Amino acid sequence: MSTVAYITMRGLLGRRRVLLLLPLPLLLVGLALICRAYDVNPEQWGQAVVLGLGLAVVLPVISLIVGTGVLGSEVDDGTIVHILTKPLPRRDIILAKLLVASGVSAVTSAVPLFFAGLLADSVRFGLALVVGAVVGAIAYSALFLLLSLVTRRPVLLGLAYILVWEGLLGRFVSGTRVLSIEQYVISITDKIAPTGMLDGKVSLPVAIVMSLIFALGGTIYAINRLGSFSVAGETS
Amino acid sequence: MSDAGVIHDIGYQRYEGPRLGRPAVFGAIYQHGLRAAFGLGRSAKAKIFPWLVAGIVLLTAVINGAVKAQTNGQIVLFDYFSFDDTMSWLVIFFVAIVAPELVSRDMRSGVLPLYFSRPLRAFDYIGAKFVALATAVFLLLGVPQFIMFLFGAFTTDDGAKGVWNEFLDLAPGWGYTLIWAVLFASISLLIASFTGKRAFAAGGIVAFFLMTAPVVGVLSILPSTTANHLAGLASPMSLLVGVQSWLRGRNDLDLNIGDFGVVYGIEAFCLVAAALLLLLARYRKVASL
Repeated sequence: MSTVAYITMRGLLGRRRVLLLLPLPLLLVGLALICRAYDVNPEQWGQAVVLGLGLAVVLPVISLIVGTGVLGSEVDDGTIVHILTKPLPRRDIILAKLLVASGVSAVTSAVPLFFAGLLADSVRFGLALVVGAVVGAIAYSALFLLLSLVTRRPVLLGLAYILVWEGLLGRFVSGTRVLSIEQYVISITDKIAPTGMLDGKVSLPVAIVMSLIFALGGTIYAINRLGSFSVAGETS
Repeated sequence: MSDAGVIHDIGYQRYEGPRLGRPAVFGAIYQHGLRAAFGLGRSAKAKIFPWLVAGIVLLTAVINGAVKAQTNGQIVLFDYFSFDDTMSWLVIFFVAIVAPELVSRDMRSGVLPLYFSRPLRAFDYIGAKFVALATAVFLLLGVPQFIMFLFGAFTTDDGAKGVWNEFLDLAPGWGYTLIWAVLFASISLLIASFTGKRAFAAGGIVAFFLMTAPVVGVLSILPSTTANHLAGLASPMSLLVGVQSWLRGRNDLDLNIGDFGVVYGIEAFCLVAAALLLLLARYRKVASL
């Protein structure tokens, strides 16, 4: 299991494309620093940076790239066969991949979010954002890992979820918020450190339970799917 | 074709028909690109995502037109301009689907040397792909705008004059859509051309467009009027709104551009030119492989 995790980690971080993960966090911290340097009231910029960039873009997009990358790229390349033919339980493969995916996305999004929160309000707000980001990274990773097993176009489906479901519908149709990981993160963060910047639209129990359902349900279904995974050539 | 130049002739018949040359190759790549953009001539799976986006945009236009017609023009959800602005996220999604389809796929399957062994230059390849993507984006927004026009034209009370007035509203709206198409097509093709993996290309395109939007939000609250007026330059979406308010002489849009309208126009032009030149430079390298 540790070997699978190590190989996944190397596949994820060992190439030049790891640099793709850098601009988003840097931009997040950079914007917070600029606002702080110009002494803009955090009430004004906090929402744009922490919510508009951090929780709505950085966390989901990084989780998407990483979460679909750990398994999806192996499915694409066909190298998944090498792992599948080893005498390893499929459960261990999924768990190792999920661990790496959520770990990497949690670190890359929680660290800049902590600094943004620190600059915007307080250490408490920063830590609350870290908790929210870790919960969000685990739930998103499980979801996107599952997507890369049920469809050949996981990134597009994930983007549709982020852009259309959470972004477009979440703004206008209140019912879709119950199934939006972004809203759970907002609620959890807001409960730990209440500020005027975040406005949790779903209740805390709903947020915690639904995050768990996303994380556990995604993992279990992914294990199930990998158990009957059929290797096919590139179609469409 | 002197016999001295033939190394090995096993007697196959030579092709003696007309050679169509570069324009025909350009046309073929363009046509194929435009069809691929909407998944035409491909499996049903390839059609899901483009048509999902097209369907949502069309539906919005129909609802908008119907509401306007039912209320005799009292309630207008979007006009032809704000329709483009409202659909911006769907346009981003659309180019994230189509741009990797057009360029990343060719890189991944390693067919570029085959393309460039034809009388085809890097310029032709890029030009055809770019025009195809721009056409696809224009169709995505322009056709729904035309539907809105039809709703307006059929419910007008002034006869032919009313239809003509409605058309005078539509024409600049189409012009605005064209600017959208050109800008989004050039930027997304450039990003997609960096990787052969469609998944990463799609993620990169969306990340680029989305991460620029909050920068505008931050710049527009800085305590400097100049920074506020120039804030829109930071993101392609607000750049286009700035261009719109410059060209239409409007100051009541979401973005206050002050006297810097011409800067917005210049940046939009330079952005497209730079993206295309970088693409050209990239494919020069590929073409000479």
